Amino acid sequence: MSEAAGSTGLHTEDMTLNVGPQHPSTHGVLRFVVKTDGEVINEAIPDVGYLHRSIEKIGEKCTWHGYVPYTDRADYLAAMFANQGFCMAAERLGGVEVPPRGEYCRVIACELNRVASHLIAVGTFGQDIGAITPFLHALRERESINDLMEEICGARLTYNYLRIGGVGYDIKPETCARIAAFLDHFEPIVDEYNRLLSNNKIFIERLADVAVISKEDALQYNLVGPNLRASGVQWDIRRDIPYSVYPELDFEVPVGRGERGTQGDSYDRYYVRIRELLESCRILRQCLDKMPEGPAVAKVARKFKPPAGETYVRIEAPRGDMGYYVVSDGSEYPYRVRIRTGSFTAMSIIDKISPGIMVADLIALIASLDVDAPEIDR
Amino acid sequence: MSEVITYFQNIKDTVSSIFEGMSITFSHFVRKPSTVQYPDRIAQQVQDTLPLRYRGILEVDMDICTGCLACERVCPINCIAIGIERNAETNQRDFTLFDIDICKCMYCGLCMEACPTGSIRHTQEFEGACNNPAGLVRHFVTENVPLYKPKKGGETETRMIQKVDIGKRYMDEIAEPES
Repeated sequence: MSEAAGSTGLHTEDMTLNVGPQHPSTHGVLRFVVKTDGEVINEAIPDVGYLHRSIEKIGEKCTWHGYVPYTDRADYLAAMFANQGFCMAAERLGGVEVPPRGEYCRVIACELNRVASHLIAVGTFGQDIGAITPFLHALRERESINDLMEEICGARLTYNYLRIGGVGYDIKPETCARIAAFLDHFEPIVDEYNRLLSNNKIFIERLADVAVISKEDALQYNLVGPNLRASGVQWDIRRDIPYSVYPELDFEVPVGRGERGTQGDSYDRYYVRIRELLESCRILRQCLDKMPEGPAVAKVARKFKPPAGETYVRIEAPRGDMGYYVVSDGSEYPYRVRIRTGSFTAMSIIDKISPGIMVADLIALIASLDVDAPEIDR
Repeated sequence: MSEVITYFQNIKDTVSSIFEGMSITFSHFVRKPSTVQYPDRIAQQVQDTLPLRYRGILEVDMDICTGCLACERVCPINCIAIGIERNAETNQRDFTLFDIDICKCMYCGLCMEACPTGSIRHTQEFEGACNNPAGLVRHFVTENVPLYKPKKGGETETRMIQKVDIGKRYMDEIAEPES
């Protein structure tokens, strides 16, 4: 702790504060040790590990099929993507071909999940800053998505929808119609969010030019997903390392443009997500149009035993690049499962960005990075 | 001078954007409410409104369970316990135990997919609160019952036909992934 005599000759020292582990703005059990000089932060060290559930170790003890429901728990807000990463890794190891309808079902479910996850990100962002009303508006729409998910796969949060070789249940035509109806209802709502929150002068003043992450920093600290794109880097796994049926779909990758301040500030990170909501809607509409007929799942042995080998699969989750490194030794159980998530690297940059910003802006920074505590620790 | 103008411009922008937001909030006074007063003032039981695929608390129809143990084996957390013994009198195999621990169950739905007759099913029931965790272990065998053996050429008893039908329909609608 630094000690110095101030200009008045009085003894001054830094104050050490604990933000968390239980704090309304940390979205889970997450702790920061903050050293402050008055309101200005000198240092903020994130302390992770409170939510470690050893999901990677469980993978070594479960069968290949039995591990899929566990991956749901890696990121509870975007369970579908965690499913997809593991299933794709297992398919690549076992040489399983997913039928086209299965791929489309996957993309529909995933993009719906992305909308739900971004709604939470946007809603809680507002709530952390002090705007509670938009949070309720966002959650209302998310409930509709949960209802759709319930119809598609029978669960509202831990979906376990994807199987190795396809999806668990086919999406019925009536459900497709309901998804289309939801999109018709939802797209104007995004405009409402803009009027409610994005264009609000207080909100803009609170976020513009706050906690700016430059392009170089973002690349050096390995930020992924919307956080990276907000800093002006055009990088989306869906487009750049295509998987599933994304090459057949037409969508844009929104990039932060410094709309209300500097490129890469908190506002950009917020607004990239708003624009991604609309892009996801576009992808969903195309998928609903293009849905081919046929089976939704390939025939996979119940005792799935992929040949020995290893693979690394990358997918674009709402919190960025999610990677699954899976090693098989040819047995009924995976030999090793390693999950790489976007929130973990997002945490590491807080250390770099926080010196010199206000305590209240730290909250804006955490919220804008959209970190998700269960995903950090796994 | 320009600073003064910016100052008042900011105030004007702030106030107008607040009212912009307020107008949306007020418009909700005339829209259909999106909340219900649960659980007192609901038109219909929630259980009745849930989709068919909803994965609620598990139930087992012991009359059409063949005792193949597929569900027990596929369960990732071993929440299903099955006991089978050979009955000395009838020389048949009997169930002595079929317990599902609802506390442990994570509602993944892998067991119902593995079931060949559709006897283990997710219901629409989700309210399972009770005072003692032991009450959440569902016992489906109270006295020893013989295993179900599908008859060649189909069932003859009406009761059994219905039960087999329900299982089949459940498998077609939900558990069978192929379209």
